[in-house]
Amino acid sequence: MISVQRTGAMGAVLVLVFMSRLAQATVEVPVEFGELVRGSQLVVHGRVIEARSQQTGDRRSIETVVTLSVTEALKGQPGSEVTFRMPGGEVGRYRRVMVGVPRFAAGDEVVVFLRGSAPALPTVFGLSQGLFRVAHTPDGRAVVAPAPLAVPAFGAERVVRGDPARRPLAIEAFVRDVRAHVDTRP
Amino acid sequence: MSRRIAACLVAVGLVAGASAPLSAYLQLSVTVRGSVTPVKWTSVPVRWFSSTASAPGVTSAQFQSALAAAFDTWEAVPTASIAFQFAGFTSATPSEDNDGRSVMGFEDHGDLDRTLAATGFTIDTITGAIVESDVFFNTAFAWSTTGASTAFDLQSVATHEIGHFIGLGHSALGETEMQAAGGRRVIAAASVMFPIAFGRGNALGRMLQPDDVAGASASYPDGDFDRDTGSVQGRVRLGSRGLFGAHVSAFDRRTGALVGGFALNEAGDFVIDGLAPGTYVIRVEPLDDASTDSFFDDPGLDTNFRATFYDRVVAVPAGGAGPSFDVTVTAK
Repeated sequence: MISVQRTGAMGAVLVLVFMSRLAQATVEVPVEFGELVRGSQLVVHGRVIEARSQQTGDRRSIETVVTLSVTEALKGQPGSEVTFRMPGGEVGRYRRVMVGVPRFAAGDEVVVFLRGSAPALPTVFGLSQGLFRVAHTPDGRAVVAPAPLAVPAFGAERVVRGDPARRPLAIEAFVRDVRAHVDTRP
Repeated sequence: MSRRIAACLVAVGLVAGASAPLSAYLQLSVTVRGSVTPVKWTSVPVRWFSSTASAPGVTSAQFQSALAAAFDTWEAVPTASIAFQFAGFTSATPSEDNDGRSVMGFEDHGDLDRTLAATGFTIDTITGAIVESDVFFNTAFAWSTTGASTAFDLQSVATHEIGHFIGLGHSALGETEMQAAGGRRVIAAASVMFPIAFGRGNALGRMLQPDDVAGASASYPDGDFDRDTGSVQGRVRLGSRGLFGAHVSAFDRRTGALVGGFALNEAGDFVIDGLAPGTYVIRVEPLDDASTDSFFDDPGLDTNFRATFYDRVVAVPAGGAGPSFDVTVTAK
């Protein structure tokens, strides 16, 4: 049953008060955007052409090898294709799924932040944190959504979901942001 | 079937496949032979093994004890029937995907140096059965079982991972702030299934919140859970279309309990089960502050809309749901 009572501002206040009572400590695990850029050996905008599952070299586990056709290299000097690996996949009758690991499919347009050194294949930095999906607006503009969170100039700034100021970011602006961080010393 | 539909359900990395409205909290599921199968243990108690591996400051015995306490926390939910059994120590590792043993243990994953811990499932794609589920705790981080301020609390992180182990995905009931000095700080969490952990030395993640209890109970209902709790159901719309992936939260005006869910199909339908009878404030918001891949296996989630409160309070009866209602949001 839906009550006929109307709510509004009071509801909002209640929610915010409840949440603020839970205020707690610091975490260092999320990757800040500049660190994401600096900590990656390769940053690539491209399109997935293949995602293929296989057993790992020690045959104990399953991984997926993703091949990307490079549209633009934002950091590093890859060839026309880049290959990286992700945990999980499907081999034979068994599917291995790791919670929190993004899945890739042929045709996906993405910007990926990759780390790792040869001979091992690189992987996406911070799993889903180093993946930005590229979408196209009805008028044909390529955008990154959700856009990376901005770092405040000073102090701390609460992240508000639905903030009208935070919108999908044009791929050109995203590329500029990445390159600005590439050029910045840590 | 479009990939969006295939992924709409439930979380992270799992392929799903129905367009019907689905219950809340993200409950993990897979598509097996075209049918959606919840990732759910069908036989209890679920046996788990503890690795003999240790980490600096945490012996294998301390590890097992912390994990047992985390399992006990979920088992103690009075309205859920899930149960666990410690099957012994093993030299096997969590990365052995198909040995038939569900192993919890420390492992070195230096290549995943932003991942504290992770849960994996091996699914038999013929039967849909869970073959095993393993959890690794990354020794790239410092761990503690005593609340040391310089290390992550093992039991807290284990409680989150065991939520995955029983089939729950991530919850969006948390708030964060960005810091000029760098980093993102969690300032509130109303679910242990919020994907960003609290910081070192914080043991609050050991305690389940109402959202967690509702999720576990909806997956493994026990006793009078279905009779004593109720649901809200509705649809999120942006203009004339449904909005897949919108986060919906229900706030109990009497107790302050928060339970979250998502619109989980193209029509924007949502259902949040396991609510105590009462009146609720409903809020809809986009996941525009997160990697949506941490919640959904979907490349095209629309997060470009404003947070919106439903303009009425919603009464939840015991043992059922009130009429469905629409929440209309606007684009930014």
